[in-house]
Amino acid sequence: MKKKLLALALMLGLTASLCACAAKNEPARDGSDAAYVRQKGTLIVGITDFAPMDYQNESGEWIGFDADMAKAFAESLGVKAEFIEITWDNKIMELDAKAIDCVWNGMTLTEEVTTAMATSEPYCLNGQVVVLPADKADDYQDAESLGTLRFAAENGSAGAAQLEELGLEYVAKTTQADALLEVASGASDACVIDLLMAGAMIGEGTSYPDLTYTVQLSSEEYGVGFRKGSDLAEALNAFWKTAYNEGTVLKTATTYGVQESIIKK
Amino acid sequence: MLAAVTLSLLRGLITTLELFFLTLLFALPLGLIISFGSMSRLAPLRGVTKSIVWVIRGTPLMLQILVVFYGPGLLFGLPLLPRFTAALVSFVINYACYFSEIFRGGIQSVPAGQYEAGQVLGMTRPQIFFRVTLLQVVKRIVPPMSNEFITLVKDTALVRIISVYEIIWMGESYIKKGMIWPLFYTAVFYLAVNGLLTLLFGRFERKLSYFK
Repeated sequence: MKKKLLALALMLGLTASLCACAAKNEPARDGSDAAYVRQKGTLIVGITDFAPMDYQNESGEWIGFDADMAKAFAESLGVKAEFIEITWDNKIMELDAKAIDCVWNGMTLTEEVTTAMATSEPYCLNGQVVVLPADKADDYQDAESLGTLRFAAENGSAGAAQLEELGLEYVAKTTQADALLEVASGASDACVIDLLMAGAMIGEGTSYPDLTYTVQLSSEEYGVGFRKGSDLAEALNAFWKTAYNEGTVLKTATTYGVQESIIKK
Repeated sequence: MLAAVTLSLLRGLITTLELFFLTLLFALPLGLIISFGSMSRLAPLRGVTKSIVWVIRGTPLMLQILVVFYGPGLLFGLPLLPRFTAALVSFVINYACYFSEIFRGGIQSVPAGQYEAGQVLGMTRPQIFFRVTLLQVVKRIVPPMSNEFITLVKDTALVRIISVYEIIWMGESYIKKGMIWPLFYTAVFYLAVNGLLTLLFGRFERKLSYFK
């Protein structure tokens, strides 16, 4: 009986791996991605709740600099933009499995992103900054002074990569907002998040009036990610150039207060 | 504020409960079928069934959810199931396997003498199962089943990995707005649902206590 079971298990395993190989060898995704999106009539945009890029207004509609530009791009393709909140760690799987068509959410163009996706030209500048309580800020004004702090950062984010480069340990959280919460609650001394987000979420008049940011660890660029090999990235570059020249890009950016960060075309 | 948060958590709770009830609806009968498979007199059928149960019980449910949702698209370029459907399919398969083992335990705990007595009286196998065995099985599996039901309520939290907006997702989304208490507030809803389940199971057990 035991031998039979073992043989059966091995056979199952073999079949499964054969299936996997067969699938990889097939040219499964030929044809244009733009044509695929046009044919189904929707551009499914993968986002997270990330003000001021993608967030919901009172009536539950997704707005923000990225959301508004995504709607305009979808319109230029003749389709409707549909937004879906995803688990950020799964963004590449979401794209490859065609659960979404693009990731448009203030995404830093890291090496991981550019190798796994077809990305647009960068459209926005950003940086990673250290956030900590305002009363401690004076002691930590340069990268050398950070060694004694307990850090938090979003798992797999550009901020986490910066900490790793500096050889600093950190608590990995699922979102940047969770990392902020770590600092606000005192569970961590400091966190590393996006400059854009820090600008919008901390300081006077926000939920975190006692936090501030000090050292900028890196500068980076935001881009839009499509499935690997997709022709939509090129389509977006062309759309963006026109929209920039017409002034739409800067006008939208001004609405959401990110005009300083927009890359000139 | 409390009212607004409660309302949005209740919306999440509806998704949680839909997943809970639909999983039970499909997993209970499927579990019974699987338990017959693992008790079958045909060795190959028994082997296949037991292997499936081994794989499903031996791998994390979270992984199974990811495979069911992303797998078709990633491996074969097929269209995906809707998110909720994918979550439901993985839950039904997973829970049916656990249920099958509980059913098997219940069925095999009925003394063989009763089966023989049924045969002597000229009853067929299905007749013996439905008229003699089944009610005793139901009585014996109530305590382990109540465990599984309660675990199921809490396991539904796993589906947020594929962006099904159940109650934990709703609670967690408030963290981005600087509020942490809604996440912990979700515990009240889980406790209420599981309190109700505990009461129902207690009552059910008493109803069945008229024979030993």
